[in-house]
Amino acid sequence: MPVIHLTRRYAFPASHRLHSPHLSDAQNAETFGKCNNPHGHGHNYEVELTVGGEVEAITGRVIDLAALDALAEREFLAPFRYRDLNKEVEAFRTAVPTTENLGLEVDRRLRAEWPRSFPSGQPRLEKVRIRETERNICDVIDGNG
Amino acid sequence: MLISKKVEFSASHICRSPQLSDAENERIYGAASNPLGHGHNYEIEVAIEGEPDPITGMILDLKRLKEILEERVLRVYDHRLLNREVAPFDRIVPTVENIAIDIWNRLESKIEGAKLHSVRVYETDDLFAEYRGE
Repeated sequence: MPVIHLTRRYAFPASHRLHSPHLSDAQNAETFGKCNNPHGHGHNYEVELTVGGEVEAITGRVIDLAALDALAEREFLAPFRYRDLNKEVEAFRTAVPTTENLGLEVDRRLRAEWPRSFPSGQPRLEKVRIRETERNICDVIDGNG
Repeated sequence: MLISKKVEFSASHICRSPQLSDAENERIYGAASNPLGHGHNYEIEVAIEGEPDPITGMILDLKRLKEILEERVLRVYDHRLLNREVAPFDRIVPTVENIAIDIWNRLESKIEGAKLHSVRVYETDDLFAEYRGE
């Protein structure tokens, strides 16, 4: 059967602050610039999930979209939507919520639950793309950052 | 090297399989299973692979590619009810996945002097399928 790469886009607004406890205030200000503002700031994040696999003959689908939407809602939309990522998401109490780390966190959460949502192992999660803004985009490909 | 061209068409479709029960169709396709159909403004991005000709600097004449797209795809798909008016959707469900595969099949042998690399079909801004002939 033909292999299709299907991409689904989701969005959530959230706030964050880029600040590392391993750096001095001066180093943080220099490294992260205005993103280091102590009061934080927000973005309309977009997440694009690309899955790949064979098209099922009867349904014409490569994935159960309702199952993918439910997984996305549970794993990152509900936990991140309208949240202060630094204060309200456990992973970002230690890691800086950069676009890179946010991509890795979304990828990690999805991969941990993937077998439960898609027990056949099909389709594969091929890519997690995070757009922090139209100009700042990070891809996690095949779970390898 | 790749070069892409984007074109649009509007069409209606019904996502229901006669091999599934009403309940299964509604679960799998959601609102798209409405038996009366609904429409989208589809976008197609076609990527062509090749090397630029040393004289023209082009992989493929994009005017020619546009003609091929109009003749092979848009004339067939635009402002149609896909399930009733476009084969093979009398037999298979016109999901965005199957539309990408069908457009590939309509184009592949018609691209001369270059190779079709991928066909990407956007059903909405939030959902697209890409087929690379694999």
